[in-house]
Amino acid sequence: MSDFLLTQVINYGAPLLGIVVFIGGLGVPLPCTVLVIAAGAFARQGILPWHTTALISIISVIVGDSISYSFGYYASERVIERFGGSPRWLEAEKAFQKWGPLSIFFSRFLVTAIALPVNLISGTTRFPFRKFILFDALGEVVWIFGYGGLGYLFGSQWEVVSEFLSNFGGLVLGIILFVIGIKQARNWQIKKHQLLH
Amino acid sequence: MTEKRKPKTNLLVLGLTVFGCLLMLVFGLRVMRALDKFDGVPQPPPFAAADEIETDVETIEDWMTVPFISHTYGVPPEVLMKALMIPVKGNHKKSLKELNEEYYPRSDGYVIDTVKATILAYRSSPAPDVPAPPQP
Repeated sequence: MSDFLLTQVINYGAPLLGIVVFIGGLGVPLPCTVLVIAAGAFARQGILPWHTTALISIISVIVGDSISYSFGYYASERVIERFGGSPRWLEAEKAFQKWGPLSIFFSRFLVTAIALPVNLISGTTRFPFRKFILFDALGEVVWIFGYGGLGYLFGSQWEVVSEFLSNFGGLVLGIILFVIGIKQARNWQIKKHQLLH
Repeated sequence: MTEKRKPKTNLLVLGLTVFGCLLMLVFGLRVMRALDKFDGVPQPPPFAAADEIETDVETIEDWMTVPFISHTYGVPPEVLMKALMIPVKGNHKKSLKELNEEYYPRSDGYVIDTVKATILAYRSSPAPDVPAPPQP
């Protein structure tokens, strides 16, 4: 898939990249990060104009993210009907209001695997749209300029950077899940201890 | 208030922790491997002119197209197409892999090898139509 899309990006340029990151923003698993890093390298080689490419990509991915937010938003009635008002739902909603901005920001570029769930949860928990767009845009700007910038900096060696960053995201996701699991187990242990005494 | 956890919740948290461990292991190893490759690339290549030309033919891959390679390596597309004995028309958007599958389906890797060899040959022999630099 990556190879096919790379060929199409060098053939059709920024508009094709915009379409791909838009679809990626909707949640379709496409190798968007690889393409963004490669686009940076292509910009250095003079194949793509960096400013137009960056602008089109940022706008496209933000529109894609907003649509996936709206999926969650419009599905929220059914979810609230089923779970709304329960202590766990309220707890989750409260937690997302607290951690939402950070989750939105970092899932745009560092832990991209959770970007779609974060968009859907943002919509479902009625996280304020303006706030969502703000942190979404900040994260996407870091993604496009940071990752694309690395591609630009490393030129023809962009694939080494891409391999590192793609795997680093997976490692961070593993650490997050592990920490959440350990923290939850610890909380249970503390509660159990308190009940016993 | 006493809270009774369901076995399902316990399993979920356990599963999450184990999955996290697995991800850390798999991606940790892959990050280490990527870092090893970084050792050979200690710093980004220096910036040359805007139209800098790539010299290492080993970076050529089969998703690249002839016009892209031509631009990156500073070799006219006609030279590459002539070496491949492929018409220019209708083939400029095809990747090397597609060209190989279409024109040389029995010779795996023929197109990419020919392109690499042609670029090296073009570099080593001065082009006859290149004008001599002006005298000061």
